Amino acid sequence: MAEVIDALLRCVAVVAVFMVFPLVVGQMEHKAMAHMQSRVGPMKAGGFHGWAQLVADGVKFVQKESIVPTAADRKVFELAPAVALVPYLLAMLAIPLGPFFGQGNLIGQDLDLGLFFVLAAMSVGVLGTLMGGLGSGNKYSYIGGMRVAAQLMSYELPMVLAAASVAMAAGTLSLVGIANEWEPWWLVAQLPGMVVFFVAGLAELQRPPFDAPLADAELVMGPLTEYGGMRFAMFLLAEYAGIVVLAALTTVLYLGGWAGPFSDDIGWLWTLVKVMAVSFLVIWARVAYPRLREDQVNSLAWKVLVPVALAQITLTTVLVVA
Amino acid sequence: MSATEIVFLLFAALAVGSALLAMTTKQLVHSALWLVATLGAVAGCFVLMTAEFVAWVQVLVYVGSVVVLVIFALMLTRQQSTISAEVTGNRWTAAVLGLVAAVGLGATVISGFHGERIEGHRIGSAKSIGDALFSDWVLPFEILSGVLLAALIGAIVISRSGTER
Amino acid sequence: MTYGKGLLQGLAVTWRNLTRRSVTAHYPDVQPDLPPRSRGVIALQEENCTSCMLCARECPSWCITIDSHKETIPATTEGGRDRSQNVLDTFDIDYSLCMYCSICIEVCPFDALHWSPEFAYAEGDIVDLTHDMNRLREWMWTVPAPQALDPGAEPAKELSAWQAKQAAEDAE
Repeated sequence: MAEVIDALLRCVAVVAVFMVFPLVVGQMEHKAMAHMQSRVGPMKAGGFHGWAQLVADGVKFVQKESIVPTAADRKVFELAPAVALVPYLLAMLAIPLGPFFGQGNLIGQDLDLGLFFVLAAMSVGVLGTLMGGLGSGNKYSYIGGMRVAAQLMSYELPMVLAAASVAMAAGTLSLVGIANEWEPWWLVAQLPGMVVFFVAGLAELQRPPFDAPLADAELVMGPLTEYGGMRFAMFLLAEYAGIVVLAALTTVLYLGGWAGPFSDDIGWLWTLVKVMAVSFLVIWARVAYPRLREDQVNSLAWKVLVPVALAQITLTTVLVVA
Repeated sequence: MSATEIVFLLFAALAVGSALLAMTTKQLVHSALWLVATLGAVAGCFVLMTAEFVAWVQVLVYVGSVVVLVIFALMLTRQQSTISAEVTGNRWTAAVLGLVAAVGLGATVISGFHGERIEGHRIGSAKSIGDALFSDWVLPFEILSGVLLAALIGAIVISRSGTER
Repeated sequence: MTYGKGLLQGLAVTWRNLTRRSVTAHYPDVQPDLPPRSRGVIALQEENCTSCMLCARECPSWCITIDSHKETIPATTEGGRDRSQNVLDTFDIDYSLCMYCSICIEVCPFDALHWSPEFAYAEGDIVDLTHDMNRLREWMWTVPAPQALDPGAEPAKELSAWQAKQAAEDAE
């Protein structure tokens, strides 16, 4: 019985984190992006600096009519948002937050192969966007879907290679294990890998500057063109959950997770701080850089990121063996 | 029957069912998506057989990349609302060959692993697979990587030959 | 090294903006600081209007409607001539048509029309955007006093003419 309660409790905690963190990141995007553009962003909702803007947005989305276009492939169209959202929820299950006041590691479930599990979940999440592009029965969605597919295939490889480099250095595929093995000099030794991982992660999430599949100026909204209301909200939530997962993974793999002063007690706090910092970087990249053209997106992956990732693996091999 | 076995049977039924749907559905895109369900269910079976590594690699590579590649290829071809697969004379040959392959594989697996239990210990962790791969199976591993390299170079040569003309 | 320079510049520009105060005007909470001569709404000094119809005819979007009648003022002296005067019946400006070009104000020979900086007169019904004489008269109270002249500018013609006349009278 205690086991069941424990499992339930963990699930509830993961779902709660899943519901809260993306909203925090979303709000940060609203405000940080606004100030980077000399605006103030939402100010009204909730009273204090528009803190409840995303809650208000959610309420609005719920009220909207759910529409399926006549030309759409109904089943695929309706299933796509769930396929986009659920994998990130699963991914969060395996991401460790670190020691919690000496009570052991705060994590949904410590997997022996946590790294592969999270990467696999992230790659499945993109399938949802692809389904949206296929099922909408809309040319813009279709072209967007093709771009999603091309982008996913290009960036999956450097991402996995970069992650493999850290796993090699740590000698384990468990996320907890990798963060425990982490040493400060990895910040330098694994820097190219970190950049490759982060950039490939941005591309996999279709975040600007890699949002050629969505490209509102040319493709309206790409695969999300026909979506509205609750389904669109699920895609949005998936995007922000994706940012959280990417930031958490970058933190655990490259920034030492909960490493920091008093990490035995407040390790989880260090992880959260680092996750937020990386999420801020994701937002910053969105504001600072213009969108890459479709051919630039692919040539960046194959001509820059893959060679750098391979070089990083070679370097790590030398360091591990030596 | 333990709970694990029940879940395993569910996954197996899901895998077979969606595989059948993938073959019989009229729309090619739906076939590809049913293939996702099949591969996912097979990954679930792998997990239950403690082969976690294979399971996640299955999801990462097959669901995340191979199916995406298949869908990408489908999108590049001409789309008709309902493409009925062309029936050629090879159909029956293919069916017989498929049946022979299935029976052969099944017989091999049953004769090889009949009666073995995997209770208590985890045989499919990254460590055990890595140990096996780089001690007992080094030669096949290296030969396979040579084959893959050859395929890679071949793909580059084929894709470049068009531009030089 | 030009490759990474642009990337860093992008980050630097956005970071600088982030650390500075935003330029947003918090409109409903803070009233905007409008420049003088803002074209908010046209006010009518009804007493100055002679119903000459110049504004209505010059208006490019035909948004001014004027109606008037003549009234006769009896002669004040014995054997004098009766005088006639135009009295306004209607002076409507349809702000759903008005394009705020300011031609009517320029063309008015008797300074009956003025710009007021009030801009918040949205309506739920487009019909209500037609302001009648009384409403246009009310806007007059919001018209700011004329701006002071720029330093070194020559004084207004009316003023210098009046001053010259005064000087001439004093000399007599």
